Amino acid sequence: MLSAILVNGLVLSGIYGMLALGFALTYGVARILNLAHTAFYMAAAYGLFFFLGRMGFAPAALLASLLVLLIALAAYKLLLEPLREHEATVLIVTIALALLLQEAVLLLFGAHFRSVPALLPGFVEVFGVRVAQQALLALLFAGVVLLLAWALLKGTRLGLGIRAAAQDQEAAELVGISLSRAGNWAVGLGAFLAALAGLAVAPMATLEPHMWNAPLLVVLAAVVLGGLGSLPGALLGAVVLAFAEVTVVNLVPGGAFLRTAVALLILVLVLVFRPEGLFGTAFAEER
Amino acid sequence: MGLLEAHGLSKRFGGLQALYKVDLRVEEREIVGLIGPNGAGKTTLLRLLLGIHRPDEGRVVFKGQEITHLPTWERVELGLAATFQNPRPLRRLPVIANVLVAAYGPRGGRKGDWVKRAEARALDALEFVGIADKAKEPASVLSQGELKRLEIARALATEPELLILDEPFAGLTPVETELLAKSLARLRKGGRFGRLHSEGCAMVIIEHKLSELFKIADRVVVLNFGEVLAEGTPEAIAQDPRVMEAYLGEGAYA
Repeated sequence: MLSAILVNGLVLSGIYGMLALGFALTYGVARILNLAHTAFYMAAAYGLFFFLGRMGFAPAALLASLLVLLIALAAYKLLLEPLREHEATVLIVTIALALLLQEAVLLLFGAHFRSVPALLPGFVEVFGVRVAQQALLALLFAGVVLLLAWALLKGTRLGLGIRAAAQDQEAAELVGISLSRAGNWAVGLGAFLAALAGLAVAPMATLEPHMWNAPLLVVLAAVVLGGLGSLPGALLGAVVLAFAEVTVVNLVPGGAFLRTAVALLILVLVLVFRPEGLFGTAFAEER
Repeated sequence: MGLLEAHGLSKRFGGLQALYKVDLRVEEREIVGLIGPNGAGKTTLLRLLLGIHRPDEGRVVFKGQEITHLPTWERVELGLAATFQNPRPLRRLPVIANVLVAAYGPRGGRKGDWVKRAEARALDALEFVGIADKAKEPASVLSQGELKRLEIARALATEPELLILDEPFAGLTPVETELLAKSLARLRKGGRFGRLHSEGCAMVIIEHKLSELFKIADRVVVLNFGEVLAEGTPEAIAQDPRVMEAYLGEGAYA
């Protein structure tokens, strides 16, 4: 039981980590609380499903993620950036965008459950737990993606600029950083990470037009737990959420039905007892 | 033509006329003191010059180029730099990274091993303000005085031609104040500070510690209720009865 929690928790941490890091980047730099973030993830999964019927896995995955990147950047440049001074409007536009993607998927693919064949079928034993090889592949993939993202943020000049903009927008501009350019990068990277998470999940999950709802709640809980705007906090939050979810599913009878309740409970608890999260600054002293 | 010229700047916040038709002119290598009672519009003027706010009316010209509508970062590329009244470091980043962000900007050029040069400049900027020994520590551990110096190092790393300082002496000990005043005087003269190069930097300094300010300023502009009340040499301003009145209230000096 313990090893099942460990293995499955790690796999889920990878997926949630990619989602949460992308969400935190978009919020931190472009100041967009993107409620369409997991709709991007869904779009990538469906994109993979669509293109897989026509080509091999690698080109299909590439096309799907590029498609999502394009949708995200177009939405940012055309809809969100011009509105960025009006925070509530931005929030509503992202909801509209999520619903738009959901309805588009519904129109194109119907409400049927769809699935993407596993790249690596079969199972292996890890610490006495039977794990789908596909899940291990997803974990490996997530690990590599997160390491690359971390290296980009920590080790490059672009990453330094992005982190500066995420911490203090005015101060960043005052040392010559273009918030508009940093915003492009953050939105692009954020959507790309969401798309990669969608690709990693597609062969393991059932695709349906509402598949973005539950992960959105998880991502919100993760970034609030980690502290809105903090990138390491988002990753840590994702790990906590993943393990909490897997623990409840494994230990509580009928726990699978409580998945989203776990995220919701953590979200509420954090907001009540520590609204600034683990790594965030309290709202009052945000500046 | 002056290095910086602001013509007829006005700015309203709701019902409050924060600035009304203010002119400001800064020559090359000139230190202009900007004083006035709280709420006189000093910080608003500074924010208009930097592009953090846009004026309702008026123009800002820097090095002969109109910059009224340029975003802040483009003004920084042109050679403006500033420090905030309350230091706003990137607290989670190391001290040196705070300065590097600025040093990597396009003002350092993009030729040859510009990255190495930018990194050297960042170190020398820390050296110049005297906190190079803290380079690797996170900015959050610095004292208030060190944070103020970090802000100045960050501004210097862009090798500015005009430096705008909002209360640089506030919160400093007398010793720190004197050191900083000396550093500013050296900066204005220009020269090489390690690999940090200054052609001679003009400054606009907002300050309430008037005695310190008057020692280094060439000219002082007094704002009151959003308008220019007086302008002149520190000596003339120190003896101007209107200035005393604005600071202390009518009749206070009589």
